[in-house]
Amino acid sequence: MSFDLALILDSIPKMLMGIGLTFQLLFLSAALGLTLAVILLLMRISGRWYLSAPTMVYIYIFRGTPILVQIFIIYYGLPQLEFIRDSIFWPILREPFGCAVLALSLNTGAYVSEILRGGVLGVDRGLKEAGAALGLSARDRFIHITSPIAIRLALPAYSNDFISLMKSTALASTITLLDMMGIARTIVAETYAPYEIFISLAVIYLILTWIIQRSFGWLEKRMSRHVRQ
Amino acid sequence: MKKLLTLFVAAVAILASGVIQPVKAETLRVGMECTYAPFNFRNEAGDLDGYDVDVAKGVASIIGAELEFVCQKWDGMIPALLANKFDLIIASMSITDSRLEKMDFSQPYRISVGRLVGKKSADMNLFDDMGAPIAANFDGVKVGLERASTYASWFEAKLPDADVIYYDSSESLYLDLVNGRTDVIMTNPMKAFLKFLSKDDGAGYEFVSPQIDERKYFGIGVGIGLRKGNDALKDRLNIALKTLTDDGSLGTYAHKYFPFAIHNEQWTPVE
Repeated sequence: MSFDLALILDSIPKMLMGIGLTFQLLFLSAALGLTLAVILLLMRISGRWYLSAPTMVYIYIFRGTPILVQIFIIYYGLPQLEFIRDSIFWPILREPFGCAVLALSLNTGAYVSEILRGGVLGVDRGLKEAGAALGLSARDRFIHITSPIAIRLALPAYSNDFISLMKSTALASTITLLDMMGIARTIVAETYAPYEIFISLAVIYLILTWIIQRSFGWLEKRMSRHVRQ
Repeated sequence: MKKLLTLFVAAVAILASGVIQPVKAETLRVGMECTYAPFNFRNEAGDLDGYDVDVAKGVASIIGAELEFVCQKWDGMIPALLANKFDLIIASMSITDSRLEKMDFSQPYRISVGRLVGKKSADMNLFDDMGAPIAANFDGVKVGLERASTYASWFEAKLPDADVIYYDSSESLYLDLVNGRTDVIMTNPMKAFLKFLSKDDGAGYEFVSPQIDERKYFGIGVGIGLRKGNDALKDRLNIALKTLTDDGSLGTYAHKYFPFAIHNEQWTPVE
């Protein structure tokens, strides 16, 4: 096996042209997924079965199936239904970008809501009781006592999911999107040089992961600066 | 004793006549996969059938040779030809430079072309009367292509500004055409017909371009393969193929399976 360095130098800039799309997929899905996760969390811990039961089913389905299957169902499956194509959602579902963001958001939303629930459950009972003793309402206790601590507790696990989401964006290339992975696959199909191209791509993803890790590390430190000596 | 001698001579004569037939026809052994419908396959009766088989029979009847079909797996096709297991490959084998290094080919009896498929009566008017694409009319038209295919190279060269979407398989190509994510696709017309246009899903769709047969992108086509150094046989094959082209036989063979011809209807030899 010969390693074609010229090819690598040639293809890295081409693949980087897709980094914008990778970031769009990542940040949009992360934002939508987090919003969804908070809604799911509130439903889950509401204590009302008709709110928590659908949430559990939802989380079970989206954690229990491969994200590639979810992407294919949304991209290829939904348009098979006539009423979807006639609906107001079609302009979004027609575009592969819309389908990818939808699938990634729904998927990450399920995971993140469980991560957040872990954070909420980790908050010491005593603190909440203290809040109640001070006369804070349940809502105020949740917003001012539970949430800040829960977020701090959930952050390490969330950073994990964020990295996982970043890698999942590569699956968008299976539905025609030319993100970094999509461009890499096109180059491989043209040059028959999978080692060079995919290894260079792996290095790019590793660099992105390192940046994300460092950012979350900084965030964690900042959020727990009150406990540092 | 004399009687015995006569008997002996007669016996030898009979035996000899069995061995040395003065007008014995030449036999050409033809290699093919026998599993590649609709080009070479076994029909319900168990007989070999298909476009390649018809071409082989047509050629044989013109050059006056007997045929013997040999079923051979694709990956061993060229080695078997070179090892003299058969004399000709008539198995939908495309003429390529790397194959020409090892073997010879006749003129193509089937051409490699690309063709666009789109919605019926969409009147997109993408090509002029000469068969050249009209770039302006591709504005706003979403084109589905297979990643890194010959059709993709053709589009990049001829219509670099077209709005192209790349797919990994021809199945997803057809799916997204039906789903309305693309307006036209470019692919092999035979595949498009067999897998899509002739099916229920493809009912509302049709070819929206002429056959595009630019050799630079799509190759020369499919020819009869033979060992090098058989120029006399090659010439006879080419004459036979010209006859089959001119008398419309190749068209007839194709129309059994496709509603269009799959050979070059004007005999134009290539070198």
